[in-house]
Amino acid sequence: MSAVSGFEQWLAPAEAAASGLQWLATRRGEARARVQGQGVPGTKQEAWRYTSLTRLLEQGFSAVAESVPLQPEAIEHLLIPGLEAWRVVLVNGRFAPELSALAGLPAGVRIGSLAEILRTDPDAVKDRLNTIAGPDQPLFSALNTAGLDDGLVVLMDAGTALARPVELIHLSVGSETPRVAQPRHLVVLAAGTQAHLIERYVTLTYALYCTNSVLEVTLGAGAVLEHQRIQLESPDAFHLAALYVRLGAASRYRCTNIAVGASWARTDLTVRFSGEHAACDLQGLYLVGERQLLDVHLDVDHCVPRCVSREYFKGILYGKGRAVFDGCVHVARDAQQTDAAMTNRNLILCEGAEVDTKPQLEIEADDVKCSHGTTVGQLDPEQLFYLRSRGIGAALARRMLCLGFAGEILDALTPEALRMQVTQEVGRRLEQAT
Amino acid sequence: MTVSSAVEAIVTSEYEHGFVTEIASDTLPPGLDEGVVRAISARKGEPEFMLDYRLRAFRHWQTMTAPRWAQVHYPPIDFQAISYFSAPKSKDGPKSLDEIDPALLETYTKLGIPIEEQMALSGIAVDAVFDSVSVATTFRTQLAAAGVIFCAISEAVHDHPDLIKQYLGSVVPHTDNFYAALNAAVFSDGTFVYVPKGVRCPMELSTYFRINARNTGQFERTLIIAEAGSYVSYLEGCTAPMRDENQLHAAVVELIAMDDAEIKYSTVQNWYPGDAKGRGGIYNFVTKRGDCRGARSKISWTQVETGSAITWKYPSCLLRGDDSVGEFYSVAVTKGRQQADTGTKMIHLGRNTSSTIVSKGIAAGEGEQTYRGLVRIATKAAGARNHTQCDSLLIGARCAAHTVPYIEVKNPTAQTEHEATTSKISDDQLFYCRSRGLTAEDAVSMIVNGFCKEVFKQLPMEFAVEAQKLLSISLEGAVG
Repeated sequence: MSAVSGFEQWLAPAEAAASGLQWLATRRGEARARVQGQGVPGTKQEAWRYTSLTRLLEQGFSAVAESVPLQPEAIEHLLIPGLEAWRVVLVNGRFAPELSALAGLPAGVRIGSLAEILRTDPDAVKDRLNTIAGPDQPLFSALNTAGLDDGLVVLMDAGTALARPVELIHLSVGSETPRVAQPRHLVVLAAGTQAHLIERYVTLTYALYCTNSVLEVTLGAGAVLEHQRIQLESPDAFHLAALYVRLGAASRYRCTNIAVGASWARTDLTVRFSGEHAACDLQGLYLVGERQLLDVHLDVDHCVPRCVSREYFKGILYGKGRAVFDGCVHVARDAQQTDAAMTNRNLILCEGAEVDTKPQLEIEADDVKCSHGTTVGQLDPEQLFYLRSRGIGAALARRMLCLGFAGEILDALTPEALRMQVTQEVGRRLEQAT
Repeated sequence: MTVSSAVEAIVTSEYEHGFVTEIASDTLPPGLDEGVVRAISARKGEPEFMLDYRLRAFRHWQTMTAPRWAQVHYPPIDFQAISYFSAPKSKDGPKSLDEIDPALLETYTKLGIPIEEQMALSGIAVDAVFDSVSVATTFRTQLAAAGVIFCAISEAVHDHPDLIKQYLGSVVPHTDNFYAALNAAVFSDGTFVYVPKGVRCPMELSTYFRINARNTGQFERTLIIAEAGSYVSYLEGCTAPMRDENQLHAAVVELIAMDDAEIKYSTVQNWYPGDAKGRGGIYNFVTKRGDCRGARSKISWTQVETGSAITWKYPSCLLRGDDSVGEFYSVAVTKGRQQADTGTKMIHLGRNTSSTIVSKGIAAGEGEQTYRGLVRIATKAAGARNHTQCDSLLIGARCAAHTVPYIEVKNPTAQTEHEATTSKISDDQLFYCRSRGLTAEDAVSMIVNGFCKEVFKQLPMEFAVEAQKLLSISLEGAVG
């Protein structure tokens, strides 16, 4: 089956939204051709070995057509108390200026909607948009590009810094027919800049919908980006995320990826080093409950010497759920003095859950320090006994140990208010589990 | 000698055991069709059921395509250009060493495995395979007294057809994979071992394989059955003469362990790896699988792989019996243009099953090496345990080491651990040894031997010595 027959409905509005920009039309068209050129990936394909697309295809998602007007009060309960941030809110993939807070940005910094920039100043993003993801995009990134329309843009000139975090809230509002939103984000940090990006995927209603987001990040020499991605979609939702990160010389990138929501979710994180002495730190937590499937794919490409990468992902499985972790660290020929360490730890709490993990190393240089480690296990009965013997109930004791396990990742979240909120959400879900 | 010139020296060191023994052999013309399968079966005078088995496998093979997923690169193999049968000329089969072709005996002597000496001194029974037909089987009477059957599989087909019917293809069915299907259709010969209930095999069993005769594929079939409460240790060692054409070697090994039985299978493989430019060399595409059918059974694989242009093998364990144990210990060396994609599969099906994987890879020169392993804990495998460790040592800037482990866990009481590291010999370690008066060669040799020690100590004594020697020879130059 050609992929396009299964996803025709995802693409429809791309035609309608065709702008007058020739280069943009070309990029969309190429992506469309790419979608048409490939079949729907099956479990015979290595990248989809453990994750079947059948459930996703059965839903018959179609692209979001109508916009949903919302009053600021409607999203008040979703905001993080006390968090001062430059805020961009997207509703079903479309920029909602009335909900966003962007007043008083410092000079040399642009934060806003991609659609708006494409309308007013397309040259500002022309060289970057879709170039980081590259021409060989897998199916869902190509689908996103083919329907490329709106999303978050952060552009920082050399030497600028942001005192507050940038917060992206992607809000899904359910509708009668299941919809797919395909937000497209672009973050370009020039040399010597510093920023903190918080990405949150949330919902107003418990509904069936799909989000297929693509984020492209490029860091100039010495730039620093702290990136936190919190996926708290509706329990019925489908969520696809592709992140493409390119790191310049001596840049620093830290990504904390928390995946808790959605019934079916897949994250592809692709990091490529393009300058020496850069470092990236990718960490994540996935919490998998009843009938959930969460899939994390990492692809870290050390193509230049003397870079450092750390990958640390933890998972807790508590229902008849399934987690997939597939991480690959590639060290190219001549990328000497690479230092890479990948770890994946899983905790299975009950019968019926499944973990499939595949941490890979591909090393073509000799002067490297690379390692990976994986564990799958249960709560330590001795630790449980210790807590029980001090008068703590079985359920609470289990929850405390799980939160301790998750805490290693959750503690990286800043500011404190965000960490508290996410930790509470994780604790609430664990309550159902224990 | 400096380390870099030392590395240069390994890359250029030539294969030691390169020579071809001139003896007349009875070879079928190249090509493969049903006629060839029938001819092989007819020449071996096989009963009807074996011919049926071969033809079923051949017909299935025709529907399959050669797999390409392994991380190895080679031109497509023309299966019609290979001759599928080659047997050393013999009259009625030798009855003692005196009847064996002296040229053959000399070959063994050149390889440093004098048969008489082994018979007399080490007490190892040797079933020497020269090309495809077993020509020397020793100590059979002694084994027969214990009730152990140790013979060529072609003999077993005649003498023990019930066992063959029951077990052949029961672990690796002819539908398993492309090369297993090919092997089932055209296998020439191999070893058959049957250890009856409660018997501890009185000696280490050993077969030396040797590939000879130009342009001949080698398709061995090994079947080892250990009945309840028995024990057997089997050694397999290989070396081949230097030659130009690529030789395909697609063997199948099946092990079956019943309740409380233990099988220890050790391999030292040193086939011709090809020349410095990667020409020639053996393609070693092997399917090895052990089936722990009984409760508390144990299967242990140990391998030292230093030869072959391409090695592609995954000795696996199916842990079906409760409390059964699977082990895999491996040292793989790739240098020059050698490529190895090797590892194991541990399939945990029974309760409280446990498995251990220790894989040590050494890549030097332009060698390329992949560890590919699967650990699967099925839903019913409560209390299953796995520990995996795979380390790679890199010598030289043009080599590559990959690690591709798959871990699939479906039971909440299972515990699995996997660790892997990749590094080069550290300058600090070298400096430490050099400052204590060791030559660069001895220092590297010592470090590499230490790196592989965990695996070597699993080998039977005689083999461990041979393996260490082989490793030093393989890395000669790098080690000074």
